[in-house]
Amino acid sequence: MGQDGAAAAGARVTNQVDALIRAAQQGDQDAFEQLVRTYDQSVLRLAMNLLRSAEDARDVYQEAFLRVYKNLDSFRFDCSFHTWLYRIVTNICLDQLRKRKVRKEESPVVDTPEGPLDRMESFEEDAAESDPERSLWNRQLKQKIESALEDLTPRERTVFELRHYQGLRLRNIGEMLGTTEEAAKNCLFRATQKMRAVLGDFI
Amino acid sequence: MTCDSVSKLIPLYYYGELNADEEDRVEQHVDSCAECSRQMDQQRALAAALDRRQATVPPFLLENCRADLLAAIQGGAPRVERKQKGPWALFLEAMASTFAGMSRLQKPAGAVALIALGFFAARFSTTTSPNPPLATSIGSTAPSDDVFATVRSVRSDPSGQVQIAYDETRRRTLAGRPDDQSIQKLLLAAAHEDNPAVRVESVDLLKERTGSTEVRDALLNALAHDPNDGVRLKALEGLKPLASDAQVRKSLSQVLLADTNPAIRMQVVDLLVAHRDDSLVGVLQGQVKREDNSNVRLKLEKALKDMNASIGTF
Repeated sequence: MGQDGAAAAGARVTNQVDALIRAAQQGDQDAFEQLVRTYDQSVLRLAMNLLRSAEDARDVYQEAFLRVYKNLDSFRFDCSFHTWLYRIVTNICLDQLRKRKVRKEESPVVDTPEGPLDRMESFEEDAAESDPERSLWNRQLKQKIESALEDLTPRERTVFELRHYQGLRLRNIGEMLGTTEEAAKNCLFRATQKMRAVLGDFI
Repeated sequence: MTCDSVSKLIPLYYYGELNADEEDRVEQHVDSCAECSRQMDQQRALAAALDRRQATVPPFLLENCRADLLAAIQGGAPRVERKQKGPWALFLEAMASTFAGMSRLQKPAGAVALIALGFFAARFSTTTSPNPPLATSIGSTAPSDDVFATVRSVRSDPSGQVQIAYDETRRRTLAGRPDDQSIQKLLLAAAHEDNPAVRVESVDLLKERTGSTEVRDALLNALAHDPNDGVRLKALEGLKPLASDAQVRKSLSQVLLADTNPAIRMQVVDLLVAHRDDSLVGVLQGQVKREDNSNVRLKLEKALKDMNASIGTF
């Protein structure tokens, strides 16, 4: 698809989303459900990646979309719905991360009704390693990455997450977090510096 | 450009956040500076290492989240209204939603007028007027505040009198422990209500009491026939302790073949394989051929493999 084609497809999606929002604002439940389904997978993935707990991600999902539902009437189309939604989601995630910072380091093992579960286990494994040394090294790297991410401030963590994993532009990220593009750039720089310092020997 | 300034731009360069001019200058410097070139390599290695820690969303999480949200909304999560609406606006909205609901049900248009009139009559009957009512009731009392009226017929005679026949529904509240017989009876009835939020709540309460045959049948019925994913998931949860029961297993096999929701099919496979029986292999083999969801298919294939059964039938 050429650039014009991609732009046209993007505009079409925006129009469809706008139509869904207007219908949902008029009380159309089906339209609201479709609107949720358009975005909820990426919202859940973002929450899972940031909070690394299915339970917390579920809370974020519920709270975010309930806020959207309750406040949809106040959405005025003066920014994209995606930005508006992510502003809500990132605010909730930031609150959760801040609460965690206060509670301080959590054990990577959480209790579930099915028995203890290692948080790290919920992340994609590389293809099975036949080399045990390589596998051990990978596990250590994974732990290092987790602790490097834990060392970031909630805001650095969120900016990094949105840029690296969600592929959003820093200008948009600044808008979502109620700050400037410049501040988002600084956050990204500090986040990568910290991680390079921790992971220096491993990468 | 100094090494210090380039070092600050390396992450932004990597993420494509620099303008073309800045990009050129960074590239020129990196090409001629060993230390900055090493830093650029480190940035790429860091990103590659981080790419491998994408979270996977557990299989049922998305479906569960959707069901929770639907239940919360249908259970009456309040909307923040922009402004107070006048009675006329409210009436028009109610009319519009009545028409929308009717069109979904594809009832004849003529019926709409009666329903609209029924709605209007209900509103009218619940309004307390400062003046004494001019109407007199024939054969029953006039509707009061806690009564919802459905108008069945409207007749006017030449003298100008109007005769309206209506059914009335009175709201009552019953409180008690979930195991009280009258509460149980109402919960069983509520599992068939039109409002899915009511069904989710009642099935959720019923699933704690699977000892009774009535409850078990209600859960099986909800799992097999309820159109709402949230209700079916709750029913399935309630049936977990009964997964070894022959009749439950028969129903679960049917649900595996018929349910449109892959999250439910995944859970059904888990329940079925937890108690192995001879007929199970055939059911799983049949489903693996027709399953269009890759996650469910993988689960089925794994289950068959664990049972030392072949994936296809011969």
